[in-house]
Amino acid sequence: MHEEVDIIRDFLDKQIVDREETKMGRADGIVLAIDGNGPPRIDHFELGFAVLARRLHPRIEEWLSALRKRWSPRKNARQIVAWSKVMDVTDHHIQLDLKAMETPAFDWERWLRDHIVTKIPGSGEE
Amino acid sequence: MKKAMTLALGILTSVGGFFDVGNIATCTQAGARFRFQLIWALLLATLVVIVLVEMSGRFAAVTKKALPDAIREHFGFGFWLVPFIILTLIHILVLGAEIGGICFALHLVTGLPLQVWALPVAILLWVFLWRATFSTIENSTSLLGLITLCFVVATIWLHPPTHDLLQGAVPSMPSKNPENYWFIAVSIIGAVIAPYLFYFYSSGAVEDEWDPSYIPVNRAVAVIGMGFGSIVSLGAIIVAGVVLAPRGIHVDDYHQAALMLTQAFPYWGYVLFAVSMGVACLGAATEVALSMSYTFAQTFGWNWGENLNPAEDARFSLVYTISLLLGSLFMLAGVDPLKLTLLTMAISAAVLPVVAIPMLLLMNDRKLLRDAANGIFSNLATAAIVLLTLVLAVVSIPLAVVGGS
Repeated sequence: MHEEVDIIRDFLDKQIVDREETKMGRADGIVLAIDGNGPPRIDHFELGFAVLARRLHPRIEEWLSALRKRWSPRKNARQIVAWSKVMDVTDHHIQLDLKAMETPAFDWERWLRDHIVTKIPGSGEE
Repeated sequence: MKKAMTLALGILTSVGGFFDVGNIATCTQAGARFRFQLIWALLLATLVVIVLVEMSGRFAAVTKKALPDAIREHFGFGFWLVPFIILTLIHILVLGAEIGGICFALHLVTGLPLQVWALPVAILLWVFLWRATFSTIENSTSLLGLITLCFVVATIWLHPPTHDLLQGAVPSMPSKNPENYWFIAVSIIGAVIAPYLFYFYSSGAVEDEWDPSYIPVNRAVAVIGMGFGSIVSLGAIIVAGVVLAPRGIHVDDYHQAALMLTQAFPYWGYVLFAVSMGVACLGAATEVALSMSYTFAQTFGWNWGENLNPAEDARFSLVYTISLLLGSLFMLAGVDPLKLTLLTMAISAAVLPVVAIPMLLLMNDRKLLRDAANGIFSNLATAAIVLLTLVLAVVSIPLAVVGGS
């Protein structure tokens, strides 16, 4: 089946969900690979604030990465998701064959949950 | 059956949720200073808000996406970033003003200064959001909000002159103080067309899992709910016009506004005003704080929903927690709640193009909305609205400088 897709319009910035449809981020960046003389193909997605920062200005990315080294519970500035992990693309989202909670996309979510949220009564995790 | 419930609740929510600190401040000032002459501004704003709320609900029902989500997806991060930052700041200011309203209501009843109430109010709001589900919040605030109908009851008891009311429905030039007249007109429009309303409403539609079969329900909620909601604001203008204007009370301070119900309800008027204000601002504050969380979560693609436990959407919960904390700082710092409200409404009016223009573009995207996309009528209406918002953007801040106070 032949179908044409506008990657900027239809893929970039789209909601990404995991196997169980938990929202795990957005397609903050899309990276093409060029091998030899063949046409470029989509290699992977990138997720993370660093990717967004670079889209605005390289300087902002530098500031952010300096901050991250000091403070962030996140080990990598960006999460790379190979195109081969894509299960499904709908009008609504891009679904990946991953579990969000186990990926770097949920570093912050996990850290906040474990260090702050579950320490407060009524968080639903007693 | 579920739709009938949605309809009833939606209307109730709009009646209870329409009226907030911005409406109280701008409508009582309008009535106190210009009697019924600014009724037209409220009617105009109500028409606009009906059209925009209907669109944001229709959009969510068809695409199952709320507005911040769709704007980032379709226009990209770079496009959305500036409106996102502006709207974040507006949300904090509005939250500050709503918390100010609750603090003032508590101050009226207890006599304790506003500063004392800032943190307890923020904590109360936070506990409410932390524990409750979306429908609990929606239903309890809307039921409580019906107390504000006392402004309508007061209007009926006071027998305002019908002929003067009808005259006020048509725009006219003021006989005195035109800068202040136009400033209040702009502030009323800014208060009624609150930007958070559309983000909150469309996210709520996604939370309630609307689908295209909800389009008629959505239309009815928008028209009847917002229509009835504005009747409370209309009541505030009229009561202030009948009670405060002849006595030369200009409402430079919320204390003066609190007198307005005492003629219709001699004994209870003061308390009724305090309760109405407290309840109206409480409902609005929860909506604003949630709208902030929705906007952040959707912008960055986080898991979101007020029906999830905080442990399942820690970042979502963190955003409203920080927002409430920031919002309480204004009262803690001793900012005058009325001045904060009026300034916020003027800024809010100034940024309306940021809300209206992306919405107009999205509503015309046939790939997204198919046959539910805007027709000619809706587009003429939105084009007129965009034009109006552009005018407001240019005039509101200068008017706040020359005509404020």
